[in-house]
Amino acid sequence: MSKVSKLSLKRLLLANPWGFAIPLLLGVMASLAGVALLGISGWFLSAAGLAGVLGLAQGFNYFTPGALVRLMAILRTAGRYGEQVSAHEHLLGLLKTLRLWVWDQRVAKAPASLHQQSRGDLLQRLVSDLDQIIRWPLVVMLPWLYALLAYAGVTVLAYIISPSLVLPMGIAALFHLVLIPLMCGRYASRHVHVGQILGTHRRSRFVSVFSALITLTIRGHWQTYAERLEQLDARQKQAEVKIQQAISLGRLASYCVTLGLLASVFYTLMDSQNSAQLSLIAGVQGAWLVAFILCVLAVNELVLPLSQSFVAQGQSQVGIRRLNQLHTVQQNESTANQASLATIKSIKLTQFRGYHAPSNLGNNTVSMTLEGNECVWLQGHSGSGKSTLLAALAGDVLSEGQAQINGVIMPLYGNEMYQSQLSYLPQNPYVFQQSLLANLQLGAENATEEALWKVLDAVALGDWARNLPQGLNTLLGAQGRDLSGGQRKRLVLARLLLRNRPVLLLDEPFDGLDSASIQTICHALQHDYQPNLLLFISHIPSPLSANARVIQL
Amino acid sequence: MSKQEKAHKSPRKARLTTPELQFLNEWAKRQTKRYRLVQLLGILFTVGLVAQAWSLANVFSDLVIDGAFSVSLLLIAFSALLIRALASFGRERLSAAASRSIRYTLRKKLLSHLTHLGPSRLKIDEDAALSTRVYEQVDALDDYFSRYKPQLFMVSLIPCVILLAVLPVSYIAFGVFMMTAPLVIIFMIFVGHKAAQANRRQFRVLAMLSNQFMDLSQGLAELKRLGRTGQAKQRLSDSASAYQRTTMGVLRLAFLSTATLELFASLSIAMIALYLGLGLLEQLPWDKGQAPVTLTQAFFLLLLAPEFYLPLRQLGNDYHAKQKAEAAATALLEIFNTPTQDTQTASKDDAIQSHLSIVKTQSTSLLTFQALSWQQAGRTRLAPISNHIREGERIWLSGESGVGKSSLLHLLLGFEKGYQGECFVYHEPFSTLDIAQWRGRLAWLPQTPEWVNGNIRQNLLLGIQPPSEQEIQTALEKSQCADFIKALPAGLETKLTELGTGLSGGQMQRLSIARALLSNADVWLLDEPCSGLDEDTANAVLETLNSVSKGKTLLVVSHDTHPISWADRHWNLTHGGLHEQSIQAIA
Repeated sequence: MSKVSKLSLKRLLLANPWGFAIPLLLGVMASLAGVALLGISGWFLSAAGLAGVLGLAQGFNYFTPGALVRLMAILRTAGRYGEQVSAHEHLLGLLKTLRLWVWDQRVAKAPASLHQQSRGDLLQRLVSDLDQIIRWPLVVMLPWLYALLAYAGVTVLAYIISPSLVLPMGIAALFHLVLIPLMCGRYASRHVHVGQILGTHRRSRFVSVFSALITLTIRGHWQTYAERLEQLDARQKQAEVKIQQAISLGRLASYCVTLGLLASVFYTLMDSQNSAQLSLIAGVQGAWLVAFILCVLAVNELVLPLSQSFVAQGQSQVGIRRLNQLHTVQQNESTANQASLATIKSIKLTQFRGYHAPSNLGNNTVSMTLEGNECVWLQGHSGSGKSTLLAALAGDVLSEGQAQINGVIMPLYGNEMYQSQLSYLPQNPYVFQQSLLANLQLGAENATEEALWKVLDAVALGDWARNLPQGLNTLLGAQGRDLSGGQRKRLVLARLLLRNRPVLLLDEPFDGLDSASIQTICHALQHDYQPNLLLFISHIPSPLSANARVIQL
Repeated sequence: MSKQEKAHKSPRKARLTTPELQFLNEWAKRQTKRYRLVQLLGILFTVGLVAQAWSLANVFSDLVIDGAFSVSLLLIAFSALLIRALASFGRERLSAAASRSIRYTLRKKLLSHLTHLGPSRLKIDEDAALSTRVYEQVDALDDYFSRYKPQLFMVSLIPCVILLAVLPVSYIAFGVFMMTAPLVIIFMIFVGHKAAQANRRQFRVLAMLSNQFMDLSQGLAELKRLGRTGQAKQRLSDSASAYQRTTMGVLRLAFLSTATLELFASLSIAMIALYLGLGLLEQLPWDKGQAPVTLTQAFFLLLLAPEFYLPLRQLGNDYHAKQKAEAAATALLEIFNTPTQDTQTASKDDAIQSHLSIVKTQSTSLLTFQALSWQQAGRTRLAPISNHIREGERIWLSGESGVGKSSLLHLLLGFEKGYQGECFVYHEPFSTLDIAQWRGRLAWLPQTPEWVNGNIRQNLLLGIQPPSEQEIQTALEKSQCADFIKALPAGLETKLTELGTGLSGGQMQRLSIARALLSNADVWLLDEPCSGLDEDTANAVLETLNSVSKGKTLLVVSHDTHPISWADRHWNLTHGGLHEQSIQAIA
């Protein structure tokens, strides 16, 4: 699947047509063999019974039907097994394709909107949407095709017995395969949709209400808020009832159609001699008719799950719609001024201001010039927007005003060429749930072990790491939860130092550190790991501040 | 059949001891009535099944031999089919209703439990993750209650009834069923056990894969800054491929259990058909020249053969429902196992008795702690403290983490009840206090301010009588919010969502102060209001607090790193108890 395409169920099928065709073929084989097993058995029994009654048993060739029955039994088993295995193979492939698609979409997103989507529960929902969607071919498409082909096979049999049976077969097929699933799907999909929206709503309400639990309780208003949560739940329950109704009614209707089909078959092929007895019309053999009826009963079993599967389709579609909201049309950014950028030597800001998109909050406009080989201490009272300015300088949040890099005016926001020249330590740095080694290597892929230990020592994490039983291969927990805030910051700083870029932007690097660690880090920043340009925010005085130029916001 | 049942039940019984299954069973018991009805309908369904097979068999044999049959037989067959349809319709509706009713009751109970847990719910997980448990995990129980549970009954019922129906017709067919049924079950246990293991492993690996995806996505901004998105994609792709390879090996084995069932089902249908055909032709090797069954009986057996194995196959398909439910139950049990503090009331009553007499003398104080302590599960969460707070006193409470500072605040908020000793508000012991009235006097300023989705105005006025615009303005001025709110394009109507609006921690804390001012509360409880803030901001916020809280009763929990120099008294809480310190020593 290409980067820019939107998702649709059809694209899902076509993503890997061969992967889909193999389980389909095997499944069709198994389904037809299952129907045929009953039909042939019925015919065999009838013919045998008839032969026995007529005394023709001696000449009856029972080898062929006997072999056929066994063959069908084996085909059904092998087919079902093969179908399951190959279908899951296909499904896992699909999961991979979809995940990568979602990844591409998210990578293409602008950094400012990325923050909104990075919250845990949103991602959780994304993952469950993916799991919902990949089941679609298996749960919806394949069963429908099996039923269709089984119908086709049985209709051929019906034609052989009597062409007049084709019409009732056709009508029943129309109901079973098209009308009932469509109606169930149509009826349910609205409620599936409503249910999903309610679900999202209910969830954000839960989080919002619970995060203010104590205030609401002491103000005596918890009850009203909790009741509204329960009302949402009740509405969700209603949607669920409706969906369940659609499935059950669909099945009941399928049964009724089968009944009607059987009745019309008997009506077409039988004459009523008197009120209590029906007899076959001329030219129709009883044994074939029995086989046919058994086949119809077998097809009925294939048709029954369809009403449910079309409700599942509704769920997949809602999932796809939600995933498509991720879809970003790639803007053709003017890549011209991103094309090449030598080492950043100077940054000149004129009337520059960083701000957050939804609230328009940020720093007041500033103008400043940062030259190479400089250490700058950004100061300002709380709320003056120091962090926002630094993030805007890092190209992470939106900015307005003018920025000149090496004398060339260029946008900073989302400018990959520019960003590749700098390292930025945000206030809440992210540690991946990988090994310590892998986390560090994100900074420099081919760093030698020696270099890794050196940088760990530089951020005063060396002794800590040496005491870990698994050393560099220690797996770091969720969100780096087994690391303290200070350790997390230092680890990410080590990663940035390994990366060795000319510009280093640090947001409160010393927060929560003891003075010995601060000394060590400052020493490293002034010697082995000294960047061309160091810009930092800190409310703690440090050895760096001695020869730093102070800029007051 | 008794043997079968044993074979079938023994693994279940062995696992019945797990708390998850106990939990699921307990909840299923609440819907016994509905499940009984479902079972009744199941019996009706089975009867319809046998009746349909019998009448159709008669119709078929008459049709084949005479080319004619009686209408009444056909009508019986049709009505049996209709009964089956209606019975399964009813079963579905009822089991779905049972499952719904269980899940929605369970959810209500979870919500009220979480409410009672109050602040201690966060020991289990953060709110967003809790909402996943309350909604998604509860819904994950659906398949178990609506499909697996009813199907368990059918699995034993249908084969039994069919065996009974077959017995008078043909010993050989009975024998075939009897032979294959235990084989099927043994195989299912044997292969199913392996499959279950494989399934669990797959479940885990899949979860790991999702986790990796989540992790990389959460750190995407960092990856973009480092220019490593390409490598991350490669990693995702590699691990997905590796997963696909290893899982397929596992799945091939897992599907063997289904395949075995299919094989037995198919082969025994084929065997019975062959046996019957040969029998009808009088060609059975051991019984030449004689038909052991009539054609009617032969059809009857043929029609019942597939039905014999069908419920077992369905149960195999629903097996993952059970696993899903067990995994969900683990997450839910964790919530229920976190106790609310209502349990130790007995010991508390004793405490009241013993202390009641002493207390009357100190009634001028707003709050009096009388040997107030708190033991939980053998662990001391709060060492016994005795002290008092007079109206209008501002108290700074410090101490290392885990010494019970927050617990004391939660207790005063009325969320913790399992304490020993007593706490008095004027004369009144806390346990007999009108808690709603007491809470009406409180303002709560925690570390992370509490906000609901809505705009700033709604949040400021949360749960109070709307004051005049002038009063709001005054409160905003006093708390020094007025300036930055003026700078917001939407002013007071600016939405505060979970995503944040770019307001800084200090600004959010100031809004909390404004809210406390507007609520006219005279007792303020503050839990580390400055812990997330840098020093300058913290000092500024504390200064604002000082100016607005004069005349109010304050209990401020704060670390030594953020001293409250303007407090009237300084309490230092340790594992040994409460020590009053002079405020001048720090200031």
